[in-house]
Formats: sequence, C-alpha cells, structure tokens
Amino acid sequence: MLRRILAWIAAVIAGVAIGLASAWAAISFGASGVSERYGQWIYNGAAGSTAADPYTRAIIARAGLLALSAREARYYTLYEDEHGRPLSESCIYELSGRPLDARWWSATLYADDNFLAQNNDSAHSVDATRVGNDRAWSARISPVRGDAANWISSRAARRGFSITLRVYNPQRDFHASAESLPVLTTVSCAGDEP
Amino acid sequence: MSWGKYVFGALVIAGLVHFAAIYAVPRVLMNVAIERVGAGGANKWTVGDRVTQASRQIVRPSPDFAYSACAYDLSEGPVVISATPWNDYWSLSLYAANSDNFFVIDDREAHYGAEITLVRRGRDHPEGASMVVESPSERGIALIRRLAPRLDAYNAAKQVAAEDVCASVAELTN
Repeated sequence: MLRRILAWIAAVIAGVAIGLASAWAAISFGASGVSERYGQWIYNGAAGSTAADPYTRAIIARAGLLALSAREARYYTLYEDEHGRPLSESCIYELSGRPLDARWWSATLYADDNFLAQNNDSAHSVDATRVGNDRAWSARISPVRGDAANWISSRAARRGFSITLRVYNPQRDFHASAESLPVLTTVSCAGDEP
Repeated sequence: MSWGKYVFGALVIAGLVHFAAIYAVPRVLMNVAIERVGAGGANKWTVGDRVTQASRQIVRPSPDFAYSACAYDLSEGPVVISATPWNDYWSLSLYAANSDNFFVIDDREAHYGAEITLVRRGRDHPEGASMVVESPSERGIALIRRLAPRLDAYNAAKQVAAEDVCASVAELTN
C-alpha cells in the first residue's frame, strides 16, 4: 500500500516537472516554430493579434508584452549574425538598410534579458528620424562609437543580445524579404586573426 | 508492481500541466504588468519616464517613444479614455487580460485626438457616447505611444500627455 502511494506521489511530481519544463522549453525556444524568417530576421505576424494561438501568445508575452498588432506595426528580431552565431558584445557589426515602405522604423538593441543594455551611452537605437527614410543607411553596432556616424552601443550587452526592427504604419506595398530588410554584417570579433 | 499506470498517470499530468502553463503565462505576465502600471490606482494615466537602461517595467521598451499607460478596471462600469493629439506619430492601443491587442487607433485615423468609452463586452453601451469599444476582459491596459526620439520631443510629449483622460464614467459624472 505504502509503495503504491509513494509511486503515485512520484508520478505526480514527475508529471508536474515534465509539464512545467516542456512549457518553459516551448516558450523559450519555440519562437522559430511560430515565426517566419527573412534572412536572419525572425517575424511573428500573430504578435498582439486576437487570433494568436496559445503558444504564440505565451511566447510574445514573455519577449514582447504589449506588442501592437501587425496592422499597426511589425516587429522583426535578429538573434544571430550572418554565420548563425549569437550576437556578442565582443564583435563589431554593421547594420545597413534601404528605405522601407513605412512611415517610421527603428532598430533597437536588447540584452538577453529583453531589456536595454546596461550602459549609459544613450545609443540604444537608430531610427528613421535620425538616419532618414529616403536613402541607404548604415549603423555600427559596437561597444565604442569610434568614427561611426550612426551608432548602436553594445557596451554591457554581453553575449546573446538581439536587435529588434520596428516598422510602423507599413504601407500596402510593404513586403518583408531578406533583400528589403536591413542586413547585418560582422566586421570583426575580438580574438579574430588580424 | 506494474509501472505502466504510473508512467501513464505522469504523462497525463504532464500534458495537463503543460497546457495550463502555456495558457497561464500571458495572463500572469499581463497581471503583473497591470499591477505595476496601476500601482498608483486604476483608471488613471501614468506618464512613463523617458525610456533608458533603467526602464525595466515592461520587456523591450522603445527608447524612441514617450509612453503613457493606464490600468483600466471596468468593475465599476464604463471607463472614458482620451488621447491628446501629438505632432508626430501617436497611437492609443488597448490590451486585454490575456495580452491581446484588441483595439488600436492612431493619428492617421484621429487627427484631433481620440476619445473612447470602454465597456465590458456584452454590457449596455452608455447613451451619447461617440465611440464605444468593448473590452473582452474586466481589466487590461491602455497604452499611448508618442514618437519622441529626442529629449526635447519627450519633454514636449510629456506635457501633452498631461491632458489625456482615463477615468470611470461614474467618477466623471460625480
């Protein structure tokens, strides 16, 4: 009798642990399963939508609570460089883009905790009001500004940061693609061969 | 002792806990956000400080916006929400308790600002209200975004935001 009770207690504990662990894994690593990919950019069209499925809702709530629906704004996020490596403070990147068929856009760096990097450089983002939306542009992503005209500071962003591109009031002919969205290029990484 | 029924039992419990957790996560996170936004009281705008690295209330804030947030509570009846116009992009968006963005209006549609009366879905609409929006939940968050990438723009947006209204109809008529 006691063995049975203990076996059921173990089954309940194991069930709860497996259930919670699998839910955590689905929310933490399941973004690619409910998202579209344009080059390195990850996009979820159901963000904020009343038609979002429970998994999308949970994933977005963790990493983008209070997102606007796609009619108003689109959110594209970069987690990896062009070689598939996590973005890192020890590298220098260049983000270059062309005008977007939208009213306004911005590119913002977030540390791996989904908040702004803990630096006081006041350079967490670049946006269309600063670099213009009528010509090609580029911005350097690095821990120090150097001679960059447009700069996103990655100081204190550590490893595993991300860049979110916000596209507000996309026009009817706005079509996201690997070619139309900004391109990230790794310039160098600390420890690379000179 | 046969282990089959215990393994089966554990898997059934795992499935139930998994789906309950997936269902609960957005509601729990929204509840935390509602509590934080409404710390100074429900049905009241809070103009956020300029977004910096110290802003850690809501994940992924944009440093290019001036945010105003109101935790609405329809338990005492409808709530009037207004957004004063701004000289660049602005929008008023509403989020239900499950995190859905169920309403948004921006300056393209409302050149001179927006005023809505928010009611619980299925309840009577107040007479004379010009724009009535139904909320799928009793509590939620109203958010105004005003594009203000620079400090001077943020300061101006903060002044404009002081004119916004978030108040229960009962409070306004008393």
